[in-house]
Amino acid sequence: MAETEIHRGGVRPPADFNPRTDPPLDFPDREFGEMTPDDYAALGFMAGLEVHQQLATRGKLFCRCPAGLRTTRVDAEVLRHMRPTLSELGEYDGTALMEFKTRKEIVYLLERGTVCTYEMDDTPPFEIDREAVGIALEICRLLNLDLVTELHVMRKQYLDGSIPTGFQRTAMMGVGGVIPFRVPDLGIDRDLRIRQLSLEEDSCREVSDVGHRIVFRTDRLGVPLTETVTEPEFLTPAELQAGARLVARVARATGKVLRGPGAARQDVNVSVAGGRRIEIKGVPHHRGLPRLVHVEAFRQLNLLRIREELRRRGVTPEMLPDPPQGFAWETSPLVAEVGSLLRRCAFRPVLDAIEEGETVVAVRLPGFAGLLARRTQPGITFSRELADRVRVIACLTGQPFLVHSDLGDYGLGSGPWNQVRKALRAGAEDALVVVWGPRRDADTAAREILIRAREALDGIPAETRQAFPDGTTGFERILPGPDRMYPDTDTPPVAIPDEWVAEISARLPETPWERQARYERMGLSPRAAWELAGAPWADLYDELKPREGEIARRLADALARRIPWAYRRGRLESVIDPSRGVAARSYPYRLPSAQRLAPLVRAVEAGEIEPDALDAALAELLDRPEADAVEILDGFRKRGDEDARLDEVVAEVAARAREELPGRPVEVRLRWAMGRAMASLRGRVPAATVRERLLAALAEETA
Amino acid sequence: MSGDGKGPAPGSGAHPDDYKGYREPLLSVLKENGVTVWCIVRAKTTKGVFEGLILPRSETADPYHLVLKLGSGYNVGLRYDTIQSIEKTGYFRAEYRIPEQEFPVDPAKPRVKLFGTGGTIASRLDYRTGAVIPAFSPGELYGSVPELADICNLETEKLFGVFSENMGPEQYLVLAEKIGEAIRAGYDGIVIGHGTDTMHHTAAALSFMVQRPPVPIVMVGSQRSSDRPSSDAAQNLINATWTAAHGPIAEVMVCMFGPTSDRYNLLHRGTRVRKMHSSTRSTFRTIGDIPLAMVENGKLTPLQEGWAPRRDDREVEIHPVFEERVTIAYYYPNMHPDVIDALVEKGYRGIVLAGTGLGHVNRRLYPALERARDAGVLVFMTLQTLWGFVQMYVYETGREILGLGVIPLANMLPEVAYIKLGWALGMHPDDPEKVVELMQTPIAGEITPREPHDGYLVFQGGVPEMKEFLGRIWS
Repeated sequence: MAETEIHRGGVRPPADFNPRTDPPLDFPDREFGEMTPDDYAALGFMAGLEVHQQLATRGKLFCRCPAGLRTTRVDAEVLRHMRPTLSELGEYDGTALMEFKTRKEIVYLLERGTVCTYEMDDTPPFEIDREAVGIALEICRLLNLDLVTELHVMRKQYLDGSIPTGFQRTAMMGVGGVIPFRVPDLGIDRDLRIRQLSLEEDSCREVSDVGHRIVFRTDRLGVPLTETVTEPEFLTPAELQAGARLVARVARATGKVLRGPGAARQDVNVSVAGGRRIEIKGVPHHRGLPRLVHVEAFRQLNLLRIREELRRRGVTPEMLPDPPQGFAWETSPLVAEVGSLLRRCAFRPVLDAIEEGETVVAVRLPGFAGLLARRTQPGITFSRELADRVRVIACLTGQPFLVHSDLGDYGLGSGPWNQVRKALRAGAEDALVVVWGPRRDADTAAREILIRAREALDGIPAETRQAFPDGTTGFERILPGPDRMYPDTDTPPVAIPDEWVAEISARLPETPWERQARYERMGLSPRAAWELAGAPWADLYDELKPREGEIARRLADALARRIPWAYRRGRLESVIDPSRGVAARSYPYRLPSAQRLAPLVRAVEAGEIEPDALDAALAELLDRPEADAVEILDGFRKRGDEDARLDEVVAEVAARAREELPGRPVEVRLRWAMGRAMASLRGRVPAATVRERLLAALAEETA
Repeated sequence: MSGDGKGPAPGSGAHPDDYKGYREPLLSVLKENGVTVWCIVRAKTTKGVFEGLILPRSETADPYHLVLKLGSGYNVGLRYDTIQSIEKTGYFRAEYRIPEQEFPVDPAKPRVKLFGTGGTIASRLDYRTGAVIPAFSPGELYGSVPELADICNLETEKLFGVFSENMGPEQYLVLAEKIGEAIRAGYDGIVIGHGTDTMHHTAAALSFMVQRPPVPIVMVGSQRSSDRPSSDAAQNLINATWTAAHGPIAEVMVCMFGPTSDRYNLLHRGTRVRKMHSSTRSTFRTIGDIPLAMVENGKLTPLQEGWAPRRDDREVEIHPVFEERVTIAYYYPNMHPDVIDALVEKGYRGIVLAGTGLGHVNRRLYPALERARDAGVLVFMTLQTLWGFVQMYVYETGREILGLGVIPLANMLPEVAYIKLGWALGMHPDDPEKVVELMQTPIAGEITPREPHDGYLVFQGGVPEMKEFLGRIWS
């Protein structure tokens, strides 16, 4: 995985294997959150990111449809299939062949406002969108990437149907960048290497995938997207999350990218020692990333343990050959059609399948006894690896569609299991899988089960996996290689003149790390500076121009606390237009204006309101958006009678403390009294002064 | 893939392809650095370091950029004046090869002959032009469309390697002769792979040159080249081959997508079909009638009656003739008479007018039409509207034009009339009366006696009934 020498792209793709080949098989299973960075180091954990970011352009990348609209309206449908084709370098791509096996009917839902005949592959591409190229160049410059001088549009094959052409048009813009990666909380202070950035068109949104029919919406299809790939240098799940945030910040710094659900999605590459790169696709949030990669790391370790056990038992790939042509049960001793044996089994799903004329097949996996029940992910066993392949490739989606002998008598009952065992001459050391479906699908299923079992001897199959909300993953497709790229013959190369780059470079926005450093110089703690530099209200903060030092600090804290608070209370208006779904250039809700908040900051700076009161005053400004700001601020202003008022309040509160908390220690009474006193003095008298006076008054009492 | 990691040593008798597509100023940069196409290199530039494989440059692209294929599979261009040095680290020559397997033979299956003319039935990429070039042999076809082996025993013969736009009379004649030979040799059906742009011209030519064939003659192509996963090529080829092998209709037909969805193909009569959209899959439409049949997954559903049925005999009339001095004049308002005069002067023997409305041209042309008639040039009237019949009695203009000797051709399509005129003049070079008679007598459905109510269906989007139709068509 770490091909540090060739990070700018040699001819061979970056190796997919973890540089460490010694799997820590004895490493104890630990839950997420129980691991230290040293633990992850012991695992050989490493991860990299591919961040996909939609750009806020007016039009799509290769046609003149509007970009960024979202709709569920359907005006028409188109049905297509996909076939694998030859790549530029003369070979079929592995993924392509797998997708072909699935024989899917692909349905596209069309809405006239968002899609034209280009997206439906009925019209050749128009000229590439210059606005998108400009934004991508800007992001490249922010990432310090080496720019190419001529774009070549390539076709990256996707036979899953998510793009009607069967390929994604994509162009490499820059390679080999380095950005500062400084996250105080995690003790990170180093460089992050960016492998490359490409500009590509977004794919369809999947609506459903049942059996041999998959349905897609096309509104998103063709929207310009940057794909930023980091080197696989994240050494813990938390680092990975911070890296994802940093890359997202860079794109957002341009102010020209889309925000909101689905506007930024990441693919994550993970491996552990002895393992190989696994790609988890399309994770829409940063929040779930750490748990996701933690679970994946242990899945890999568990697969390596299974491999070790299979080797110990002497299982070899030759024991699991592919069935010759014809139905697998007619040509392979490892596969049998067992419908007739199971006519009287007790398992309803199998009986239903037989009744519906489906084919029931048993597959013998020599030497696999017990391994199908081995845990791979939380609540998931190795049998899921087989079932996932069958679901995706043989398109079996009925539930359940498979049982196996490691479940004990489960399902079929001991009698039928024994008959199946006899039919396949299976010994106690063998595992059995019974799978059912339409005849051709049952054949595909049996073959895939053998393929996946054989891959267990290799350890970790190269796959892309989909993320589930609980942090586990499922098989999506075989990991594609560079063979799936070939030049787009429909588009000419696009030269990038130096003048264009110079023009963009001259007006680059402040980078997230420059911003972070600037906030530190203003007196914010490193942690607060990192947080604020990535906060949606950072521009608002800058517009308020707080004075360096205490006020800068307090304003950062107050905004970080009060803006999400106000949002939760429904005081901030959502700016997600239901028809657009995503919002450009802003947070998905409307932030308060600088005009409303600036008088507060000025009043604090002028000493008219105590810094203590900034948070409370801000809260009130946000909580009562209709109320007059001047009036609200007046409530917090000092009035000149502070000394008298302080005397009054201290005397009163001290007296009440004596009555209500008789005999309690002074600290308890002080805490109680501070709360009461500050309620009427906040903003006018510094808390420290109140505290000092109260302490004196209470001490007097005690004495 | 293949690669010996070495490649030609610099300076050791370079091959002309070593710099394929590269011109100055880049050629010198490559030579100075001792690298050629297919070298794996590390290029230092003012923009940074790029490592990859040098690919050929398209000759239609500018001469300033070096094309590198990076390890990620992406191609990128590096401008010559940014390149500081190129260091060779390896060599790797790519070969284009469609996986070829021997086409299985099953004596129980019909024999089909596939003629190749160029086009994009199967294809591969050409670096030089960045374009798609055809690939063609039973083995290659079997490698990319294995379903064909379930349909028939396929034999192929590549007749030409021309793109559709370069097809013409020269090719029509060869094709007609070859079809005659194949029929007499006992093939059960004939498929012709053809580029789509002029497929309907060739279909019309074959309709006249190959008469009363006993077996189906099916023309097929693709609107999306077969190098892409979404190509319509495989479905078209499968359905065309099935039609040729098993279909009951012994006519010259075009077999292309019905709707834009991968559903069924339509069989169009060779004289009534026209390419109607520059790029969509459903581009071929029968004009002024309904298609002959639908074909899908080994099932053919006739839509029309009265087609010529398949026969067991091996008889066929082949008339491979064509007079090239014929043309189409597409009328426009204010067309000047010298356009017609120029054609007459240049020795054209026949002119097909594509007139407006029911078959009209402006008065300014009358003297030129008279001069054409007097010079013995045959002038025919067809319609720009494509749909409908020439009717020159309704308006005075029409009657006047008839008076000038212009011969109406009912609902024959302009392109079909052009092809038929060339053929008819070839049949009767010295007998204008016979030519006129032949032109006005339908031979292969080029003139139909009647237009059915559903022969003209150009639907309009947006209207409620079409919205409803499109919304539920595949649901």
